[in-house]
Amino acid sequence: MARLFGPGSVPLVPAGGWAAWLVILAAAVMAFLAVLALAAGLAAASLGAEWRAELSGSATVRVGGDDDAGLAAVLEILAGTEGIAAARALEREEQSALLAPWLGDGAALSELPIPRLIDVTLEGRGPDAASLAAALEAAAPGSVYDDHAAWRGPLISAAAAIEWLAFAASALVALAAAGMVALAARASLAGNTGVVRVIRLIGGQDRFIARAFIRPILWRTGTGAALGAGAAAALLALLPGAGNVVGLDLAPGGGRLLGLALAVPPAAALIGWAAAAVAVRAALRELP
Amino acid sequence: MISLSKLSFGYDDRETLRAVDAEIAAGSFHFLTGPSGAGKTTLLKLLYLELLPDSGQLLLFGNDPMAGGQRERLEIRRRIGIVFQDFRLLDHLTVTENIALPLAVHGRDPAQHDADVNELMRWVGLTHRADAMPQALSAGEQQRAAIARAVITSPDLILADEPTGNVDAEMGMRILRLLVELNRLGKTVLIATHDLGLIRSAKKIVTARILRLADGQLALGGSDL
Repeated sequence: MARLFGPGSVPLVPAGGWAAWLVILAAAVMAFLAVLALAAGLAAASLGAEWRAELSGSATVRVGGDDDAGLAAVLEILAGTEGIAAARALEREEQSALLAPWLGDGAALSELPIPRLIDVTLEGRGPDAASLAAALEAAAPGSVYDDHAAWRGPLISAAAAIEWLAFAASALVALAAAGMVALAARASLAGNTGVVRVIRLIGGQDRFIARAFIRPILWRTGTGAALGAGAAAALLALLPGAGNVVGLDLAPGGGRLLGLALAVPPAAALIGWAAAAVAVRAALRELP
Repeated sequence: MISLSKLSFGYDDRETLRAVDAEIAAGSFHFLTGPSGAGKTTLLKLLYLELLPDSGQLLLFGNDPMAGGQRERLEIRRRIGIVFQDFRLLDHLTVTENIALPLAVHGRDPAQHDADVNELMRWVGLTHRADAMPQALSAGEQQRAAIARAVITSPDLILADEPTGNVDAEMGMRILRLLVELNRLGKTVLIATHDLGLIRSAKKIVTARILRLADGQLALGGSDL
């Protein structure tokens, strides 16, 4: 006799027809969305970290006036300031190259009153911005110390907000998946009260019945999630320039993408199992 | 085996069984008869613990199911094989799978009991229908499959609720003979039926006691049959 009623054998609960396929489809869609949301969250987190690292490690000094004496005085002050690792005055050609996109290649920059810029590399927690600004003002009036805080903050906040939104979206997808599985489990039980009654009458424990109902739901949820996560990972990998997306190794075979694709199906199956277990046991308690 | 003492049960405000007393000895063969609505099915449900009595005492195999918890009641239920009038075979399982179902439910591996299942199918005459689905069977075949399912775990007590209610007279006799054979193997058999012809036929092949249920009261009967 073929093995009966165990894993991979004759199911104790009827297959469920289109409802079973709907569970697989819904799990696939949920996993697809979860992978996309998590990928967006990871990308935002990496982007924020990169901005934070790059921008918090540098500053710019705009030197007041256009004489070399002022530039030299400012460089001297910067060289002696704690928290500054290096300071380098940009050459006029470099400044011209920076402005070229806005002013055009033919602009006569030498005729414009463009202040000299110094690129500053910070170390540790950086200098005391207020006292440094006062010293620079004294050495070369009109000099400004810019640690990028004015626009670094909103950028990093925006990246953090996107990161949290993406993770919140993932959590909502997980919650929706749990609800969907719980509904499917209850519907399965409601459609098979006759089976439940017979199994109880021949001496079946509710624990046995619950397992019989949960097992196929677990299988369907896991299968759907694997399909959905695989599709999402494939889509991300096929995006143009996917391998270069900041901080997220999206190229085919990329570690983080592969990790996502592999982590979501078991997580979905676990959520499905927990939701189905709670729903089935509650429904069994309600049955006379 | 079974002892009922002042057992009462009612649905809502309608009392179906009133202070019923009865003793059923191990290895005996009983008919439970009475008009429709007399409470035969209710009494059987009390015996297989689908219902619990409102008052009185019920002893099964010497145990009081009311005194124990769900686990104890489950253990008692596993010693009872039930045959329903409407068979209650699971439609998505084959005849073989339906017969083997109690083995799986009781935690035994059906694959280890191939010989038992095959022997039972031979005994009820369904070997040729082993892979058929219940819908493809006649009523008589379904009832024989249900009897095989009821006895696959070798229960001590067989409760049959109108087992011949959905089959013709000839098949009714065949089913009765199966139940009598089980009794000869030492099983206690209690059949609820309103078919007096069946009881008269049975008296020719088995020594049976007849319990008559009327107006919520149980009495020994059968002298008029």
